[in-house]
Amino acid sequence: MLNIITCFKWVIDEADIKADAATRKLLFGRAGYKISAYDRHAIEEAVRFQEQHGASVAAVTVAPPSAKKCLKDALSRGPDSACFVNDPSFLDLDPSQTSSILAAAVRGRIKFDLIICGEGSDDLYAQQVGPALAERLGIPCATCVSKLTYAEDEKHIIAERRLDDGMETVLVPLPALVSVLPGINTPRIPTLKEVLGAAKKEIFNVALEELGDIPGPYLKTVEVVAAAMDRRGIRFSADEEGVRSAVNALFKEGVLSQGVL
Amino acid sequence: MNFQLTEEHQLIRAGVREFCGKFVDPVANEIDQEPRFPSEIVKKLAEQDWLGIPYPAQYGGAGSDYLSYIIVVEELSRSCATTGFTLECHTSLASYPIFKFGTEEQKQKYLVPLCKGDMLGAFALTEAGAGTDAGAATTVAVLDDGEWALNGSKIFISNAPVAGMTIVFAMTDKTKGTKGLSAFIVPAGSPGLKIGRHLNKMGIRGSLTAEVLLQDCRIPKDSLLGQEGQGFRIAMMTLDGGRIGIAAQAVGIAQAALDESIRYAKERVQFGKPIASLQAIQWMIADMATEVEASRFLTYHAAWCCDQDLSYSKEAAMAKLFASETASRQTNRAIQIHGGIGYIKEQKVERLYRDAKITEIYEGTSEVMRMLIAGSLLR
Amino acid sequence: MDGIWIFAERQEQTLELLNPGRSLADMMGVKLAAFAADGGLAPEYIAHGADEVFVLPPLLPGQPLESYVAVLADEARKRTPGVFLIGATPRGKEIAARLAARLNTGLCSGCTGLHLRDGSNVLEMERLMFGGKAVQKVLCSARPQMATVLPGTFEPAVCLPDRKGVVVEVHSASSSEVRIVSRSARHREGADVTEAKIIVCVGRGVESEEHMERVRELARVVGGEIACTRPIAEECQWLPEEVYLGISGKRVKPDLYIGLGVSGQIQHVAGIRESKVIFAVNRDENAPIFDAADYGIVGDMCRVVPLLIDELGRLLKV
Repeated sequence: MLNIITCFKWVIDEADIKADAATRKLLFGRAGYKISAYDRHAIEEAVRFQEQHGASVAAVTVAPPSAKKCLKDALSRGPDSACFVNDPSFLDLDPSQTSSILAAAVRGRIKFDLIICGEGSDDLYAQQVGPALAERLGIPCATCVSKLTYAEDEKHIIAERRLDDGMETVLVPLPALVSVLPGINTPRIPTLKEVLGAAKKEIFNVALEELGDIPGPYLKTVEVVAAAMDRRGIRFSADEEGVRSAVNALFKEGVLSQGVL
Repeated sequence: MNFQLTEEHQLIRAGVREFCGKFVDPVANEIDQEPRFPSEIVKKLAEQDWLGIPYPAQYGGAGSDYLSYIIVVEELSRSCATTGFTLECHTSLASYPIFKFGTEEQKQKYLVPLCKGDMLGAFALTEAGAGTDAGAATTVAVLDDGEWALNGSKIFISNAPVAGMTIVFAMTDKTKGTKGLSAFIVPAGSPGLKIGRHLNKMGIRGSLTAEVLLQDCRIPKDSLLGQEGQGFRIAMMTLDGGRIGIAAQAVGIAQAALDESIRYAKERVQFGKPIASLQAIQWMIADMATEVEASRFLTYHAAWCCDQDLSYSKEAAMAKLFASETASRQTNRAIQIHGGIGYIKEQKVERLYRDAKITEIYEGTSEVMRMLIAGSLLR
Repeated sequence: MDGIWIFAERQEQTLELLNPGRSLADMMGVKLAAFAADGGLAPEYIAHGADEVFVLPPLLPGQPLESYVAVLADEARKRTPGVFLIGATPRGKEIAARLAARLNTGLCSGCTGLHLRDGSNVLEMERLMFGGKAVQKVLCSARPQMATVLPGTFEPAVCLPDRKGVVVEVHSASSSEVRIVSRSARHREGADVTEAKIIVCVGRGVESEEHMERVRELARVVGGEIACTRPIAEECQWLPEEVYLGISGKRVKPDLYIGLGVSGQIQHVAGIRESKVIFAVNRDENAPIFDAADYGIVGDMCRVVPLLIDELGRLLKV
């Protein structure tokens, strides 16, 4: 039976973030948290394997203890157990720290043949943790995976990677890590029984002290400001006159090549 | 005292919101305008285990609590009142009486498919001459040759055209008034059972509402639900729980009116600034939010009483009374905030306004709610 | 610890990276080196600003590009560059992430801006976060300071044909447990949207595929390319995935972006933010695209687009 680890991140819901127009400061107010959307595809893919090949699935996250809520959320999506690697200092980690912590937590603690990560996170979208984790664990990896197949009894997976110049199908020997694209599946909405069943599943806590030395951070964030959006915001009506004025304005901008006015 | 929803309740809410965003919001307008019954959504509700939320797993239910169910009705109604009400009618009015009063055999035969979504249920109490005054029912049931023979007609019966079984109330002893009323399980396709014309309603237009005609309708002897003469009690207990569901529906509609109003007030520019900066609008929004919150607390409290096995008849009546009147008030305000555009079909607030009104009427009018509340206080 | 290094999957991306690479090298007083998988490209890279070109050993059949991670890591350990810029293509991003882990350094992913912090040799790197809602500035405390840079962020470096440089053959062995089974090139429908001066972008508000005909007509009249939002490519599949714009798709900076029925989700806006002029048509007056637009018309596509075609056709004499 395959042992699968799926990694997920508990992120602030970016839709709840507001910005102060004058200072460009971000206002987090009562912003909610959620499982990063990309990671929901990773969890779904692991659960799909569980259903098709009888795999065991452990969902792993690195977060401060305050994120405890994420566990039932993740477990309601199908994994058999959750590993909560938590410490109050696990806040705004850089990708190198996250991958180091994950590697230290997984190594020797959770048996695995396959690790499935999302392609990036909703907040940072650094797209590093998957491949960096593979490096730290010394296993091969494939990123941008849009289709994943496993031939039972064979110790490898076949991954279709969607790249900018086309598709690339690769054979990856297990144990391995893949990071998956959102197009790979449609995450289910947990059923009520799955939600209620989450509480009965096993949760392992791993504390900072159990992890050994974690190097980094190597990146220091010196500033986060709202992206500037200085647009004119001029509106025209939807009738002929409005359209004519709009087209006129575009000509005046000089963005329509053969302007004859 | 704890005002926080459990993690499970929060997850259920998040799940329903996601469900609505994906499957309900895109068709809610179409369900209202065509109108059409959202059978494809009902099928998906079953897949989510939402058709038998508060009933035990042994009967195919999800084995959850009443509050979970209330949250699902609220969130579905926030997106589409037809869908929220369809679930409410099925769960509270059709499934509950079987769960509470049915024999083990009746539960296996009906409650299991109801909870699993293999069958929808309906509840037929109201008659042309017997609305609030259930004791005036003229539908009769007579035991004849080892079968019950039912005669009479019921009106305004929701889900009837799509129901696999209907709980029908009929007089087994006319001389006893409400004490002569009995409840029966009438499966679809029973001889003599006819579904009358489909009514063209002001709101919850996708919900199927029809007459149920019983013309020497023959059902087996074991179709009696509970005891002979227990019908009125069954109806009243069923409606007590149903009212919490209608309150939840009203909260969902009112919340949607508030959501739409906030969004519109921030976007709509008049006199060079968003109308949200005008105090007249701010006060309306503040009142709306406060009343919606108050309705929600009354509703959740009633559900909580139900979950704690406390009496909840008065609480349910208060929740329904306040939440339904809140829904009507808030949808009215929402249109006022929208101005002319709010009066146009295809605007969500226009639909909400029409959907809100029924919550003040069905499963006991506001007047009946006041009677019940006063009755329990002045007894 | 010096030297600016450049690695990109393709030639045009290398030429783009040589541009900021050259400026940084000059300011920091260090050499600029570029990797080339094909030695034949060395003269061109030198002409575009490279002082050194490291020619990588050829990959074995079935070896993916990512097999170079071992080679790049070996070289970096040996020669200790101060800055390492990598083209943020899918393969480049994987290579960079793994390399940063091997070298125990920091990596700024999807970098959109690079500056030296006042007089120092410390890079201040900019990137987007929160789905494009915010700009994050980061410093890297270890060496090399790494960044992946999105294609199209910089103009290609200036070519000076007389420039001199050194070509170095790299001999470390590439290795990979991953084996390529097959490859299929993406067939292109039309031109590259990232090159287009005018883009006509289709969003969910374009309710049916039948309306695409009018969209194409508008694109033809203005001489633009057609692009779309993510759902149009992924869910509706009306257009190929290579033309969807956004933080996870293509990022464009045309002179004119015309959004038709585009709601303006932040993830999409992040991909069009650098357009010179944004013009939007949407039926929903509350659509966030209007906050991101210079000009907007609130109205039904079916009505507005034909009017636009007429008016633009008349003026552009198409």
